[in-house]
Amino acid sequence: MATYDFDAIVIGSGVSGGWAAKELCEKGMKVLMLERGRMVEHQTDYVTEGLGPWELPYRGTLPPAQVERDYRLAKWGGAANTAQTHFYSNDRLNPFDYEGSKPYRWVRPNQVGGKSLIWGRVSLRWSKIDFEANARDGHGSPWPISYDEIAPWYSYVEKYAGIAGSKEGLPQLPDGEFQPPHPLNVAELWAKERLEKAMPGRKLISTRTANMTEDKPEQGRTRCQSRSQCARGCSFGAYFSTQAVTLPAARATNNLTLLSDQVVTNLEYDPATKRVTGVRAIDTNTMQAKVYRSRIVFLCASTNASVQILLNSRLSGSTRSFADSSGTLGRYMMDHAFRTYTWGSVPQGELDPYIAYGRRPNGVYIPRFRNINGQDPDADFVRGYGLQGAASRNIAAPVGFGKAMKEGLRSYGPWTLRFTTFAECLPYRDNSLTLHPTKVDRFGVPLGVFDVTFRSNEMKLLRDSAIEGQKMLRAAGLVNVGSSSEEHVPGDAIHEMGGACMGNDPTASVVNRWSQAHDAPNLFITDGSQMASTSCVNPSMTFMALTARAADYAVKQVKANAI
Amino acid sequence: MLTSNRRELMIGAAALFGSSLAAPLARAATAAQAGTPAGFTTSRALFTDEQRALVAALSEAIIPTTDTPGAIAAGVPGFMEMMLADWYEPTDRNEFMAGLGVVEGYARVRYGRPFAGLNPAAQDAILTLAMEKAIPGLSSRFFEHCRQMVILGYYSSEIGCKQERIYLPVPGRYDGAYPYAEVRRVFSS
Repeated sequence: MATYDFDAIVIGSGVSGGWAAKELCEKGMKVLMLERGRMVEHQTDYVTEGLGPWELPYRGTLPPAQVERDYRLAKWGGAANTAQTHFYSNDRLNPFDYEGSKPYRWVRPNQVGGKSLIWGRVSLRWSKIDFEANARDGHGSPWPISYDEIAPWYSYVEKYAGIAGSKEGLPQLPDGEFQPPHPLNVAELWAKERLEKAMPGRKLISTRTANMTEDKPEQGRTRCQSRSQCARGCSFGAYFSTQAVTLPAARATNNLTLLSDQVVTNLEYDPATKRVTGVRAIDTNTMQAKVYRSRIVFLCASTNASVQILLNSRLSGSTRSFADSSGTLGRYMMDHAFRTYTWGSVPQGELDPYIAYGRRPNGVYIPRFRNINGQDPDADFVRGYGLQGAASRNIAAPVGFGKAMKEGLRSYGPWTLRFTTFAECLPYRDNSLTLHPTKVDRFGVPLGVFDVTFRSNEMKLLRDSAIEGQKMLRAAGLVNVGSSSEEHVPGDAIHEMGGACMGNDPTASVVNRWSQAHDAPNLFITDGSQMASTSCVNPSMTFMALTARAADYAVKQVKANAI
Repeated sequence: MLTSNRRELMIGAAALFGSSLAAPLARAATAAQAGTPAGFTTSRALFTDEQRALVAALSEAIIPTTDTPGAIAAGVPGFMEMMLADWYEPTDRNEFMAGLGVVEGYARVRYGRPFAGLNPAAQDAILTLAMEKAIPGLSSRFFEHCRQMVILGYYSSEIGCKQERIYLPVPGRYDGAYPYAEVRRVFSS
């Protein structure tokens, strides 16, 4: 009989890891959570919270030379902002590689809580259309689960996390368990009314967000105070983070051991019993390696890191991972296609007297409208995209100098509505993450090598979004409508998914319908790496729902002595 | 009036939400009092005394003292020295420093005095020429560069945030149809 240090080990403490720890602890399991980053305690370690711009290093922007040296990738996630630099991984110390001319952006956090402290907080459900997409158009491996199966788990995590949103009755964006939505501003209401009248079927709604509009006193959390300092950490606990939500719940059980500064290098595996037998971690302070043992393991290190750990968990005498009997581990790497923008201004006049008081934590959303009822006849692409944005008024541009300029800077420019496209990315077998044959990082782990590109379908989606986006803004009566695109680099949307995809067929997927590894029934992979497609909506709620569901299943299996 | 409301709101919030919120709210509340220092240290002195006087005069000409304090009171000259010394890439720094020399030289040739010693009308005349890219030898980017740095330094300063603008560290609510006429100012965060 094997002896274990813990009932379960959770690798990673972000959105998925936090939920895994909470659920497993609450079901009575003794849990060890390993996090590669440093410790950040709720409230006390939010060191820049409440500081004015004059109190931030360099008034808020890191010197360009330092950004290029240490945060050349993390800058795409906001690391150049000195209010939040400390929440990002140093890219110089944590390198990876990419194939030739195919750049990749991997924006990594560096603390307990992972990206849950710095995420965009957009909280959307996937729909029936999304879960059926692979089977319908033949890309990637078919999802083995349906929306109806996952819906109760969405409800479960939404209720606890606290999601603000409006019920809309849209099949492509299912309603959930919502607190009241954050309000639209006067310009967004103006545009909504005109757009929805001019183009039936198009909707402009308050973005569903994990910033609460009602208190949760039972969790010690207070509704959003409209500071818009979320990425510094929120002592009100107003938005979902590991620190504010799942970690306190896990700790309250007295079943949790949390170790920060632990880089997991690989999993140990026994081919005879087909079980993961240990988790090897290096303490980043002492550089000592240690193997921790548990009955089950939840791998929630983030999409790319989880795939890297799995790839580095090799069968004895082989370069092949134990988890790769399907030959699909590290394949179908995806991210939302990103960086196409659309904008337009409200004509001068009736809305000029109004400005915004306070800083709302969310914006507005135009849900997917393409290829909803089968293939649109005029679409030369499959699947769809959503537009995320907000209306705001910039401070007036400076004119001249002196007293008149200073006076002018007390006023505002026009209300302008700006959108960013998030387009679905198809699963391509040859979009891959592999391990470098020779280069290793400071922990001895072979560097990840990304060979990931967006293809024709993603480019067509983005182009269509620019055309349709402008059409909608003009139809709504906005003026000075325009659109632009920047380089589309995978990883940039920080919605990485895939690499250990879910499927029924063990020869074509890495995990089964319960996020359980086909090759090791005591291993559950519940972060973005299990995703077999990307939908066009933000993925975090789905990671939460699938993680809670997998934890429920895993504990039942343990209790039944099945694993 | 808004200022005292804000302070009440923060104090009320701290009482309502318990002592665990004290640290961040105390930081915001402290910030709501006037008179804390500039919030940065400069790693080295970059300017000569003459350059320091010139940058002070330029910044005050761009954002003068009106019904609210101007650039000098807000510490903008020190901010610019810090940014040039510690933030700027050498190429941009050298271009800006060269521009300072051209402006100072122009003042001395045209008016026989350093820029800082000129009356406001003469200073404005030189700045207008710089803006119109009409000073021989001066980088066409100098005026915009200088103005941007002054604007950034002023509106990110404590005076800029709290006296020129209306500082709202904890708004507590969002109103997307707030009448501008109530404030005729910009909110800062």
